[in-house]
Amino acid sequence: MSNGKLNGQYEVLSPWAEADPVALRGLKAPRLTDLTGKKIGLFCNIKRAAGPILTVIERKLKERFPISEVSWYRGRSFSVSEQDPQNKEKFEEWIKGVDAVILAVGD
Amino acid sequence: MKYLVYDTIFIEDSNRPTVTLAYQYFANDAMSAASSRGMPGVRFVPESIVSECSVTKEIEVGVSAVMDDIVAGLTKPLTAEEESPKPKEVEKPSRIIFKGNLEEINRFFYQRGWTDGLPIIPPTEEAVAEMLTGTDLSPDHLVAELEPRLGKATVEKIAINAVMAGALPTYMPLLIVGVKVLSTSPMADVWAVSTGSWIPFWIVNGPIRKDLHINDGFGALSPGEIANATIGRALGLITKNIRGVRKGIEDMGVLGNPGKYSMVIAENEEDSPWEPLHVEHGFKKEDSTISLCFPNSYQQQHSYATDDKGILNTVIYNITPGRMGMLGIILTPVNAKALASRGWTKKDIKKYIMENARAPRDHYAGYYAGGEDKGDPQESVPLFTTRPGQPDPIQIYVVGGWGSWTGLLSGGQGITTEKIELPANWDKLVAKYKNVVPTYAKY
Repeated sequence: MSNGKLNGQYEVLSPWAEADPVALRGLKAPRLTDLTGKKIGLFCNIKRAAGPILTVIERKLKERFPISEVSWYRGRSFSVSEQDPQNKEKFEEWIKGVDAVILAVGD
Repeated sequence: MKYLVYDTIFIEDSNRPTVTLAYQYFANDAMSAASSRGMPGVRFVPESIVSECSVTKEIEVGVSAVMDDIVAGLTKPLTAEEESPKPKEVEKPSRIIFKGNLEEINRFFYQRGWTDGLPIIPPTEEAVAEMLTGTDLSPDHLVAELEPRLGKATVEKIAINAVMAGALPTYMPLLIVGVKVLSTSPMADVWAVSTGSWIPFWIVNGPIRKDLHINDGFGALSPGEIANATIGRALGLITKNIRGVRKGIEDMGVLGNPGKYSMVIAENEEDSPWEPLHVEHGFKKEDSTISLCFPNSYQQQHSYATDDKGILNTVIYNITPGRMGMLGIILTPVNAKALASRGWTKKDIKKYIMENARAPRDHYAGYYAGGEDKGDPQESVPLFTTRPGQPDPIQIYVVGGWGSWTGLLSGGQGITTEKIELPANWDKLVAKYKNVVPTYAKY
């Protein structure tokens, strides 16, 4: 096509859609000074590896730190958010009850 | 991945520190999801545990390698960038994006990641104006904002992508509703980007099938008709260019799928002995509709025999236990009539398959999950289970030419159907493009 054939000139429109800018926000939650005495949340969705990964993390955390407690939260599905109305209240309550959260999807 | 990231952000917004593990090859996907929700500083720990790993020892090794990072993620003080991320530059794309010849335009669009690899028709002002004759809506009418990028699917952007795909203006009403379905289907944003490389499979019903010459007969799933080829292609380009789905970043399909180029059929309603799909889903027969579901595998089976027993056993014995989700059965008119003439309705067929499709327990993924005893590996267990509120796990489509083959579409959850609204000048439009059909040379 570079030998002079099909050489008509065209002005073309952009197919790329506009999108409103997303306002960025930073992390506000202060990090923990250490894990001693803290209650650690483990958030697990239903993908196959998520639970086993967090089980190992739980054991290793307990080996390394005198953490007070571990609290598990099992999501309904990898394809829905726990912020959906039917789960949000339960999710919020769980978050309030922990000092920090480790999440794993298993992907 | 993205819903886990959204929940991570929610936890951070609830004033609790988080750290999120992501398989190292999915880090871009995780970052994209975090940025799209305005919190790019979310702390991820890339790990080396194979996606969906089921081997305990490998998980142990993978976690051990990142334990220090996990602890640091929860305890290391926030950086200035994490606390106050720099604003991204606001995109101000030019409406006219390029000038050049056919080759240069194709090269430019391809290098921007705006095509599916096949050549495109240049979306000139004139070509887009002609495409816009296919709708009464104004070019700046916002049809939807599409996840994950929340790109604005205006009528003009839909038309531009339709021109690129080679679509005709008469496809615009269908494409506009297709975009709405992409924005409302509960599974569209997940299945379109999942590791399983799910295909957006579009089924068209009602009078518009004939107006657009959508092939519902011989070779309906093969290349050869503009409508079947470009409707799916246009919606695929819209997925890239409006939704912002990028391969290997948001679209984490591991193997990919040729069906993503275009998988569009119409039901062969005239030769079906049953009510068409859209009537089954509550629409009137005279309505035109488009339906969307997300299978990821397509197989064809020659009928074991051409009576009801032979056809149904062909289905039952070829359903894969490893599929994820629903089953779509494509019956040719021949097979559909063979069943209907022996008294079978769609409902009967679904019930029969539900009750009789079985496989040994160790043919299912669940058997290999850790934990409790799973029972006798050779025990025959049902391939389908129903739960209240779950979508119908089996759909039946009557499509194809006159032969005794059956198509099985495996996977996906649920099907979404929407009515297509036509513009006031529809009959004139249809008349204008009615001769755009292939007429083969005689030899």
